[in-house]
Amino acid sequence: LSSRRLLVVDDDADMRLTLKLSLELAGYTVDVAANGREALEVQRSRPADVLITDIFMPDSDGFEAIDAFRGEFPRTKIIVVSGGAQFTKRDYLPDAALIGVDATLQKPFEIETLLEKISTLSA
Amino acid sequence: MRLHPQLSLLVAGAVAPVLVLAVAAGVLLVRHERQTLQHEAIGRTQSAMSAVDAEIRGHFTTVQALATSRSLESGNIPAFYDEAQRVLRSQPDWLTVRLALATETPLFDTAVALGAALGPIGELNTFRQAVATRQPVIGDVDTTGARPVVRMRMPVVVDGIVRYVITVRLAPESFADMLHQQRLPDSWVIALADRNRRFIARLPPVPSGRMVSESFRAAIDHAPNGWFQGSTLEGTRTYTPYVTSQQSGWVMGIAIPASTVDAAANRTLIGMGAGIAAALALALLLGWYMSRRIAGPVAALAHATAAMGEGKDVHVPGPIRIDEIARLNDALRAASEAVRERSALQEREKQALQASDRAKDEFLAMLSHELRNPLAALTAAAHVIKLAPSGTEAAIKARGVIERQTKHMARLIGDLLDISRVAMGKVALERERFNLAKTVADVIQVWRSSGRLERHFVSLGASAVWVDADRARVEQVFSNLLDNALKFTPPGKRITVSVGPEDEHAVLRVTDEGEGMTPDATERMFDLFVQGERGLDRAAGGLGVGLALVKRLTELHGGRVSAVSAGAGQGTTFTVVLPSVDPSAEQARAPFDLAPRGATRQVLIVEDNDDTRAMLHEALAFSGHDVREARDGQSGLALAAEKTPDVALIDIGLPDLDGYEVARRLRAAPGGRSIGLVAITGYGQPEDQKRAFEAGFDAHLTKPVAPERLKQVMAGLR
Repeated sequence: LSSRRLLVVDDDADMRLTLKLSLELAGYTVDVAANGREALEVQRSRPADVLITDIFMPDSDGFEAIDAFRGEFPRTKIIVVSGGAQFTKRDYLPDAALIGVDATLQKPFEIETLLEKISTLSA
Repeated sequence: MRLHPQLSLLVAGAVAPVLVLAVAAGVLLVRHERQTLQHEAIGRTQSAMSAVDAEIRGHFTTVQALATSRSLESGNIPAFYDEAQRVLRSQPDWLTVRLALATETPLFDTAVALGAALGPIGELNTFRQAVATRQPVIGDVDTTGARPVVRMRMPVVVDGIVRYVITVRLAPESFADMLHQQRLPDSWVIALADRNRRFIARLPPVPSGRMVSESFRAAIDHAPNGWFQGSTLEGTRTYTPYVTSQQSGWVMGIAIPASTVDAAANRTLIGMGAGIAAALALALLLGWYMSRRIAGPVAALAHATAAMGEGKDVHVPGPIRIDEIARLNDALRAASEAVRERSALQEREKQALQASDRAKDEFLAMLSHELRNPLAALTAAAHVIKLAPSGTEAAIKARGVIERQTKHMARLIGDLLDISRVAMGKVALERERFNLAKTVADVIQVWRSSGRLERHFVSLGASAVWVDADRARVEQVFSNLLDNALKFTPPGKRITVSVGPEDEHAVLRVTDEGEGMTPDATERMFDLFVQGERGLDRAAGGLGVGLALVKRLTELHGGRVSAVSAGAGQGTTFTVVLPSVDPSAEQARAPFDLAPRGATRQVLIVEDNDDTRAMLHEALAFSGHDVREARDGQSGLALAAEKTPDVALIDIGLPDLDGYEVARRLRAAPGGRSIGLVAITGYGQPEDQKRAFEAGFDAHLTKPVAPERLKQVMAGLR
């Protein structure tokens, strides 16, 4: 299990840092990237099993990055985390199925919850 | 009912009484004309009659003279015969003179010799009348003889008794002369008749003694003087005035053809009829014209009103000459304008409502995102601290994250509370009089010290200007503007702040070289919850309340704020205008110093790459240094020989001498030991740095040179 590689993508440095530290404490090898383009480059040199990515909200190109990942690395599981929430007229955190990812997680979340999702997806 | 017939009716109604009046006047006029003609004819008749009477009196006078003859008085008949013969010759109208005894015995007739046999005296009535009345008498036409005659009887009184009667026989035609003298039109008839209704004379002539017309006789029988309508002997219809002489009992009549009389009346009636017809025609024409003038624009207005209902333009072609209709047109236009404005307003309000709805939605999403993100980092950090042994690098880093993120959240929440307090009017300004330029300079200094301005070139141009304001709030306004400029301006670009007096106002400007915005966006950007496009950096995020806060705080101070941008990528200038005041005497005396910008140094750049040299020059000059530049080692050394620089930035890869050589020579030159030497290289390998220090360099910069790194290096030099 400890050989599993994770890739954390978030534009917030503190978020990247704390996730990396938390996940490393759980025994994963963790790479980080600040955006989708950087994430693709990292993935190509050191492929991760699970991608944990933020979606820039709102009206972001985060979905394009996900599409690119899906195309190039179909075996990589994707977990989307976002601070978005559901409102009457606009849905800022769509269902995972709708955007073609494996799981979604709304910020803030307990690290244990994230770890559960990761282990479920990579089992 | 349509307008046209109504107007025609109106005009006709107005004309009708006039017409009635005109007809009445016409009738009166005709009658008057006829009366005038009648009077005139009667006058002429009377004057003709008077002439006849005068003629008769003339005859009487002549006979009277004969009657007073001596010879007659003395009974000398032969002498009187001669006398009578003489007088007869002088009177052309006289046919004969006869003398008879009052006892009705004839004595002589001038027509025959004295003593010859004599005829009868003739009609005796006049004879006897003359004897009885002792007055001369004129008789009527007598047609019993060879020719018609009129007898004149003159009684001769001798010794108080009527002894003789002189009879003069007159030719009736002789009176025709008097009729001629009236000079009547040829178509008229003038006639003199005797007491027996027989013609004495007439024009045109008829035989004397002929009976007058039936109608004439009936008229005379009816009244001695008057006017009748009848027919002449020739059968012409006439109007005839006539008079009877008091003296002779004769009747004079002038017959005017009815056609002459009626022609005048007819002329009047025809003229009047034509006038009435013309007036009616004019009325109808006027009615038609007026109705066209009114009905035309009214119809056009009706059309325009219908168009207005369909939301089209209201347009009435051509000028309207009737004020009321023009006013109606104006009112209609105004109404149409108002309707259009109202619908435009409603549309704008609807859109504004929708936009505000959307902004609120986005704000909630953003708020959720902005608060959840730091919470997520905090949760993760807490997790790390829980698991990682204290003192380990992970634990230390996690503590840093917690510190930063709580501060960040505190700021967000502070902003939120501020904006709601301002919105609810709960912010009380603590006004004081202070120098806005000094406050702005202080804020910049604090930010510079904290390193927040490190990645941009921030410059300040300030002149003292005094405001009466809440210093903390004004600082907040400026901080928000500066924060905004930093967020939207890429690193390495400049942000220019200026503050000073302009026309009684204190004006603060913050100009960035950032992303700029469309004119539409500049209008909306002060609205609550509106965000600029997000940059790559999360730091650019925010709640979208900063500029709204700036606007509300500025307005609370009685000022205004505006944003101008030449467009996307062209940067933006924010301008805050506040009312300025005079400083107190004490404040005015205090010298105004801007926060120090750092010492000015003489800097020499030796660099062959144009872009790098220009960038360095700009950055250094911006920081207030005196900058000179050279493209190669030799000219660099020459410039240094002219004036020894405080700092020299030297590229290693120069075309002639290499950078190490230049550094060695500068150091060796007089005063060269105190020069701060900075090497610029394309490579950051430790060996390069080592070589540089060996050549005498104090510091080392790797291309591309980041401004903040340049500032650090400059600050690190002596």
